[in-house]
Amino acid sequence: MSTAVVNAAVRLVDELTAIVGVENVLTERDEKLVYECDGYVIEKNLPDVVVFPTSTADVVAIVKLCGRMGVPFVPRGAGTSLAGGTLAVGGGVMICLTRMKRIVEINIRDRYAVVEPGVVNVWLTRALAGTGFHYAPDPSSQTACTIGGNVATNSGGPHTLKYGVTVNHVRGVEMVMPDGAVIETGGLCEDDPGYDLTGLVVGNEGTFGITTKVIVNLTRDPEGGRTLLAVFDSVDAATETVSGIIAAGIVPAALEMLDQLMIQAIEAAFHFGFPVDAGAVLIIEVDGVDAGMEKDTAAVAEIVASKGGSVRKSIAWYTRKEPEYVAIWKSRKSAFGAIGRLSPTFCTQDGVVPRTKLPHILRFINEVGRRHGIRVANVFHAGDGNIHPILLFDERDADQVKRVLLASHEILDECINVGGSVTGEHGIGVEKMEFMPKLFSPEDLAAMVALRTTFNPTGLCSPSKMLPSGAACLERKGPGRHSPA
Amino acid sequence: MNHAADHAADTLGDGLSPLAVARPESIEQLCDVVKTRAVEGTPLFPQGGRTSLDYGGIPDAAGVALDLRGLARVVDYPAADMTITVEAGVTLASLQDVLAREGQRLLIEAPRDAEATLGGIYATNTSGPRRFGAGRPRDQIIGVSFVNAAGEVIKGGGRVVKNVAGYDLPKLLTGSMGTLGAIAQLTLKVRPVPEASALVWGTVAAIEQVAALLDALNTSATRPIAVELLNEQASRRVADGLDLPHGAWTLVVGFEDNAKSVAWQVARIKEEWAGRASALATLENAASTPLWAALTNFADAAPGDVSILANLRPSAAAAFAALLDASRWEVGAHAGSGIVRAHLAVATTLEVLAPEVETLRARAVADGGNLTLPRCPTAWKKRLGVWGAPRADWEICRRVKAALDPGRVFNPGRFVGGI
Ligand SMILES: Cc1cc2nc3c(=O)[nH]c(=O)nc-3n(C[C@H](O)[C@H](O)[C@H](O)COP(=O)(O)OP(=O)(O)OC[C@H]3O[C@@H](n4cnc5c(N)ncnc54)[C@H](O)[C@@H]3O)c2cc1C
Repeated sequence: MSTAVVNAAVRLVDELTAIVGVENVLTERDEKLVYECDGYVIEKNLPDVVVFPTSTADVVAIVKLCGRMGVPFVPRGAGTSLAGGTLAVGGGVMICLTRMKRIVEINIRDRYAVVEPGVVNVWLTRALAGTGFHYAPDPSSQTACTIGGNVATNSGGPHTLKYGVTVNHVRGVEMVMPDGAVIETGGLCEDDPGYDLTGLVVGNEGTFGITTKVIVNLTRDPEGGRTLLAVFDSVDAATETVSGIIAAGIVPAALEMLDQLMIQAIEAAFHFGFPVDAGAVLIIEVDGVDAGMEKDTAAVAEIVASKGGSVRKSIAWYTRKEPEYVAIWKSRKSAFGAIGRLSPTFCTQDGVVPRTKLPHILRFINEVGRRHGIRVANVFHAGDGNIHPILLFDERDADQVKRVLLASHEILDECINVGGSVTGEHGIGVEKMEFMPKLFSPEDLAAMVALRTTFNPTGLCSPSKMLPSGAACLERKGPGRHSPA
Repeated sequence: MNHAADHAADTLGDGLSPLAVARPESIEQLCDVVKTRAVEGTPLFPQGGRTSLDYGGIPDAAGVALDLRGLARVVDYPAADMTITVEAGVTLASLQDVLAREGQRLLIEAPRDAEATLGGIYATNTSGPRRFGAGRPRDQIIGVSFVNAAGEVIKGGGRVVKNVAGYDLPKLLTGSMGTLGAIAQLTLKVRPVPEASALVWGTVAAIEQVAALLDALNTSATRPIAVELLNEQASRRVADGLDLPHGAWTLVVGFEDNAKSVAWQVARIKEEWAGRASALATLENAASTPLWAALTNFADAAPGDVSILANLRPSAAAAFAALLDASRWEVGAHAGSGIVRAHLAVATTLEVLAPEVETLRARAVADGGNLTLPRCPTAWKKRLGVWGAPRADWEICRRVKAALDPGRVFNPGRFVGGI
């Protein structure tokens, strides 16, 4: 390295330290190792430095410094992204928001909360306990992921079928633009005059700027609900039940499916009582006012029976603290964790198909896995048609990595073929950029590039994410660790 | 081409005549028209059912109207997926008819639904009483195609209910007042028609009591889909032809679910309101339909030519409604959502109105909201500021406009900050 480069690197660290204090800067290789990737482990790269701002003013100063020095920066929450959204492509500064973690305000009467981006999703749920309200988006990673990350990726979760995804629950954001300007979109009230910038900003995957505050909607708790465990001999019978429930005009709060491999892994980990010999199970939740529950539950049970399944458990709940309720959802939401028992590494895909195409896509996944010699477990948001095939492999085996990528691509291509999408909630990140031209025309992508340039003209904020073209694209070396750092 | 009957009504709104009216009957034709006209530098004004042509700022250039009612195909309706893709010129009423045959509906309400098109409803972000429980237009849209100034079709979102690929153009186009392009096609989420529907109507004498009842409703054991507030003049208009009691204030709450749930909720709200609201009346199922429609149509009720719309925190709705002199204003609020609308029912002058609007707007802004004028004589628009107090994020809106419509081809002058 030339002296000039070394000098610049030293100055960057010095100035960052001056902004946030030495306790909020990481520069040593072993300290930074956790930050070389997120939940998407197939690509890795070390950022040059990791900083932890504790205020909006810190963020402003950091991005201004990066701008002056021409250094790329990437925002990061908890790093649970499954699409490589936080990968520090080209190194640079990683801005980690986990120390901006205050719940600033909770207003029950006006049904909103104001939070900093590093607030972990479940902290808000906990803070709201007993108020009769909750924050609806509940990604399975909710005990770790941050609301800033949820906003960036427009996260979903098991309860989106009835309640919608993150964007449906965000009223406004404060964002530090890449040039250091602080903007506020939306606000405490609905329907502010102007474009729905909040709707545009949610799901930007960190390519517009750094979210430093979020105003979220609070949702009235249902009076109660019923959570059913329905057991089937085959995946086909379970997917047909999903279609049957939707076609019958019932909108469950959640409609989740697990296949046999997944059931076995979860049962081994949590001993909930899942039938390990079943071909598939559905977790079907209906909620609302108690007086209406019996009717919906009976209708669901009838459809389950008509497809040859049986309702193994029916959990009546009112507080969501009932032990069986807690247990079934803990099992479901920890499914990815349980995978560790099956395989050292996994890669989760996030395709979406029209709900009626679920039987087809699951058969297709099965066939692809067999052809490539890759084991695949399935646990997913069936009611939304949002599949999560989990491809099991050993990242130390280059051939397996290659086959996993091939299999993944075939699955995602098939989602597009049947009219769906390559990502329902995890985002494009670095992982799925090459699919964008398959989903969108050059004109569509040009419009998106124009929007990104509006917010992020220099492209320094999270370069090489989401859009495969435009100024903000750096050369990536593909799978594996990028630099021998 | 069709619609010959109302050529006489060809207008850009605000008394402006179009240079010409194009009536494309396919998206390809729309692209061709836009290409030809945009090359000449002619501004373009997308139009749907022409129910809201005067809405917004005064266009700052003359141009060609794009009558999109010829784009009226249902493109794809996979009922079992609970989604529908339609062209922008489909009217709300005809769409609901198509959906009703499958036992489904779109959770969007708009006045004059036989004329209002989905493109127009989305451009203007129109909503009705069910928004409280069912969400706004932004919550129902999953895909959009629009034609930009280059005559290209730009697509965002898709046809599946969950999709985070790319930026959320469907949200950006929602409420964009036709200033980013001509919305050509939309994909929307639909829902099963519930088994039962009911509206409970209760009158209340004092506004303090209204406020207390609204506070209590926030944590009611019931789960209303609509929470509406009317002053007496408004309640008389809304209940015209219906046999309902009147008082200084009327609260209306709506419930929709299976029959057992709705029956329980109706009984329960009556208990919660016992002794606090009087003259309770309940309209159920088919009997509730005219009242649902009247509550929706109130937005377009036209006693005069001035209407104001405040967006507030819900807790401020009652007090704000009470600021409006009942002898002059008909007030109807989506109170659960903090949206207060009022129509001026008497003749006035700009000199009288301007300070009143200013005072009301200051109140709304102090609460974190704003106050716009959905209806206002053209000559008064500038002075009254139809889009409300300027917001800091309008600068970003301007940049977004410049990114997608740099030549200011679409609806120039209509939207916030002169966009
Ligand atoms: C076990 C497991 C289960 C999961 N289940 C779900 C699920 O059910 N539903 C679902 O939607 N996702 C799920 N995910 C994916 C992931 O949890 C979500 O994408 C989550 O929103 C990421 O939050 P995070 O705080 O970890 O963000 P990170 O992973 O740190 O970042 C994600 C993206 O957001 C950007 N970003 C983060 N913070 C900010 C900020 N303040 N400002 C601007 N940009 C920012 C990053 O640059 C990156 O592009 C799961 C992941 C795991 C590991």
